[in-house]
Amino acid sequence: MTMSIRKTLLTASVSLFALFAAQAVTAQEAVFVLNTSEVGAPTYNPIKANNLNKATTLIFDRMVSQAADLSFHPWLAESWEEAPDGMSWTFHLKPGVKFHNGEPFNAATIGPWLEAFKGSENAYMTEAIAKVEVVDDLTVKFVMARPEPNMLYNLSSSFMSVIEPKSYAALGDNYGVTEVYGTGPFKMESFTVGQETVLVRNDDYTWGSPLAKNTGPAHIAKITFREIAEDSTAFLELKTGGVDMLLGVPADLLSEVKKEPNLAVLTLPGQDVYYMPINVTKAPFDDIKVREAVAKAINQEEILASVFGGVGSIADTFLISALPESHVSDAAKIHYDPARANALLDEAGWVMGADGVRAKDGQPLKVSLWTQSDSIFRRLTEVVQAQLKAVGVEAEITTFDSSMIRDQYKTGTQQLAVRSYDWDNADIVDWFFGADRLGYPNISMFNDPKAEELRKAAMTGSKNMAERVANFTAYHEYVLTQFPMAPIYQPVESVAYNADRLVMPTELNAPVVGSTAVMDMEVKE
Amino acid sequence: MYSYLIRRIVMLVPVFLAVSLVIFLILHFIPGDPIDNLLKVGSSPAARAEMEARYGLDQPLPVQYGIWLSKVVQGDLGTAIVARRPVSDLILQALPHSLRLGGLALLFSSVVGVGLGVLAALNRDKWPDRAIMGGVLLGSTMPSFWLGLILMLIFSVWLGWLPVSGARSASALVLPVLTIGLGGTALVARITRVAMIEASGRDFVTLLHAKGLSPLRIQLRHVLRHALIPVVTILALRIGWILGGAVTVEVVFARPGLGTLLIKSLSQHDYPVVQACLLMLAMAVMLGTLLGDILQAAMDPRVRAALA
Repeated sequence: MTMSIRKTLLTASVSLFALFAAQAVTAQEAVFVLNTSEVGAPTYNPIKANNLNKATTLIFDRMVSQAADLSFHPWLAESWEEAPDGMSWTFHLKPGVKFHNGEPFNAATIGPWLEAFKGSENAYMTEAIAKVEVVDDLTVKFVMARPEPNMLYNLSSSFMSVIEPKSYAALGDNYGVTEVYGTGPFKMESFTVGQETVLVRNDDYTWGSPLAKNTGPAHIAKITFREIAEDSTAFLELKTGGVDMLLGVPADLLSEVKKEPNLAVLTLPGQDVYYMPINVTKAPFDDIKVREAVAKAINQEEILASVFGGVGSIADTFLISALPESHVSDAAKIHYDPARANALLDEAGWVMGADGVRAKDGQPLKVSLWTQSDSIFRRLTEVVQAQLKAVGVEAEITTFDSSMIRDQYKTGTQQLAVRSYDWDNADIVDWFFGADRLGYPNISMFNDPKAEELRKAAMTGSKNMAERVANFTAYHEYVLTQFPMAPIYQPVESVAYNADRLVMPTELNAPVVGSTAVMDMEVKE
Repeated sequence: MYSYLIRRIVMLVPVFLAVSLVIFLILHFIPGDPIDNLLKVGSSPAARAEMEARYGLDQPLPVQYGIWLSKVVQGDLGTAIVARRPVSDLILQALPHSLRLGGLALLFSSVVGVGLGVLAALNRDKWPDRAIMGGVLLGSTMPSFWLGLILMLIFSVWLGWLPVSGARSASALVLPVLTIGLGGTALVARITRVAMIEASGRDFVTLLHAKGLSPLRIQLRHVLRHALIPVVTILALRIGWILGGAVTVEVVFARPGLGTLLIKSLSQHDYPVVQACLLMLAMAVMLGTLLGDILQAAMDPRVRAALA
C-alpha cells in the first residue's frame, strides 16, 4: 500500500517536472503579443470583421501597400491606371501568386471577392464599384458608379485583404474562424479567439510588398500571436522572455521597458490624435470667441513634455500630420496663445475676477470638462484643467467609464471633453463633425451650413485623389477656423521587443508593424 | 428525502427567473450599446438603425426580455452581437478552462484547508495554531488581483520557475490555482478548526476517551468526521463562488475562460454573451447551494431524520 502511494507520487512528480520544464523555443520561432485594443477580435474574415488584429496582415496580402508616409505602392496589383473622369480603374495583377489552399490568384479572383462585400459590415468600401470586367487573365477593370478617390486607401486597408473566393463561399461563417486562406507570407495553423493564433510560414511566398527588402519567403518559420488583456502581465512576459515582442506598449510602461537592458523599443508614427471637443451649442461656447480662447489656452508643448515625457508631437490640426489633408494654412492651425486667449475672453465680456475666475453679468465662467477613466486621460485632463484656469476658466472634471462615455455624449449636455481617436484617413473630419451625427460621434454638436457644403464636396464631389485631398483640406481648414475642438497631442506607436532574440529591420517603410516589418525580421539563432 | 429534493429543485425556478430579470435589467440600464462598437467611420445613421433592427435592439425592453428568456429556456443562448457567433460556442470554449481552474482551486483549498484546520485544532492555542490562523487571516484579506501579481513576481520573474501567464502548458495553471485557492484555503481552515474544537467538547468524545482510545485516533477518526459536515457544505457553496472569483484572476493571468469572456464582452456591451456568462455564474451558485444542502442532508443523520 505505502509502496504504491510512493510510486504514484514519484510518477506524478516526474511528470510534473516534465511539464514545468521551460518550453524550449526552437530556431526561427517567435511569440508576439497583440495590442490590447485588438484582444478578442473574433474572426480573420476581413469582409465581415469590424475589428481585425495584426496577424491578419500576415495571412493575407492586399492589392496595394502603404508606406510610412502613407503613400501607395504596388503589391498584388503591379500597376494601375485611373480614368481621368474617375469612372474606371484598371489593375494589372502580379503573376504566379497562389493562395494557401493552392488556388491561383488572378483576374477571376477579383469579381467574387468584391461581390462578397455586398450587405456585409464593410460594404461601403466597394459601394462605388458598379462592376468588375475581366480584361485578361491578369488584368481587371473596375467600372465605377461614381468616382471613388479613396480607392487606393480602401485597397490598402486590411478590411480589403484578398480572400480566396472558393473556400470563402464553401466555409461560410467558419471562414476566418476554423480555417482561412489568403496569399500572405504565413498560413493559419490554429486560432483560439481571445487566446492565441499560431501562424506558420508559407514557403511558396515570393510576392511580398516591394516596401520590404525581403519579398519572400519570411525568415521566421512560426509565429504565435498571444492575446493578453492586462498590460502589466504582458510586460512581465516580455521581461522574463516568455514572449519576444509586444505590439503595443502603453505610455506608462515605456519607462519600465527602457530600464531592461535586453529590451528595445521601436517607435512608429502613431495614428491617434488627442483633442478637446467643444460643444458649440452650449453657452458660453456658442460664442466663437470663447471657443477660440479655450482652444488657444491649451499649451500643447507643456502637455507633450509633462504628460507624455516628450515622446510624440503636438497636434495643431484635427488630423495626424502624415496625412496631406493636415497641411492647412498656418493661420488655421491652432497653437497655444495665452495673450490672444485672454484678449478674446475680455472682448467677449468675461472679466477677470479677484479669485482668478472670469465672470460676466455676475455669472462665473465655470464649465464642465468630461474625460474617461483610463489613467492617461485622467492625468491629461488635470493638466488641461490647470491650463484653462490660467486664463480664468474654471473647469470641473467629470470622469466616465471608457465604455460608457459615448452614451453620455449622446445626451448632448457636454461642454468640454478630453478624448482621442485613432484613424488614418481625412474622412474622420466628416465622422466627428458631420451634422447628421450630433451627440456622438459629433460630440461638438457642430452643425454649420458652410461646413456641410464643404463636407459634401469632400465626401462625394471629388473625381480623383488630388481633388479629394484639396476638398478635404478645404473642409478641414474651415472646421478648424470655427473652433469646435482644440487639438492637443499626437502620440507615437511604441513596439517593445527582446533585442537578444529578435533582429528588427534597420529601416521600416510601413505605417505600422505588419507584413512589411515581419518579412525583414529575424530570430537570433 | 426525495420530496425534499423535489421541493428544493422547484424552488430554483423563481430564483432563476428573478436572477435572469436582474441580469437583463442591469445590463440594459448600463449606458452604452453594442452598435457603437460595430459602426465604422463613415457609416450613416440609417446603417445604425438597420443594425439595431437586425439584433432586435429597437424593440421595447419587456419584449426583448421576453424573447431572450423564452429562447434561454429552450436552451438557445442566441448569437453574440460583436463576437458574431453562437453564444453557446463561446461558452463551451471557455467553460472547460474555467472548470479546470475552479476545480483545481477547490481541490487545493479543501485538501490544504482541512489539513491546516486539523493541525491548528490539534495544537489549539499553541504556536502552530497561531501561525496558521495568522497566515489564514492574511490569505483571506488579500485581493486576488494583487495576490496574483505578487505570485507572478516571485515565481516567474524572480525565481523563473513558472510561466507568467497563458494556458500553453500545465505549469501555467499553478499560479492561478494558488491565487484562487489560497483565499478558499483560509476559509476552509478556519471552519475546520472551529468545527473540530466544537466537536471535541461533545459527550461522545468524552465517552471515546473513557473507552481508552488514543487521542489522535479520536481526533482523526471521529471528531474530524463530525467536523467535516459544515466544511463540505461550505465547499459546495464555494463552487459558484470560485467560478465568479476566477474572473479577475483569469484576466491577470491571460487565461481563456468565462471570466475573460465576461470582461471582454462587458466592455463591448455584447449583451447576449454577458447575459449568458452571468447566468452561468448564477446557476453555478444556485446549484452549489443545492448540492451543499443535499450533501448536508446525506451526511447528517439528524437532518436526514428531520426530512423523512
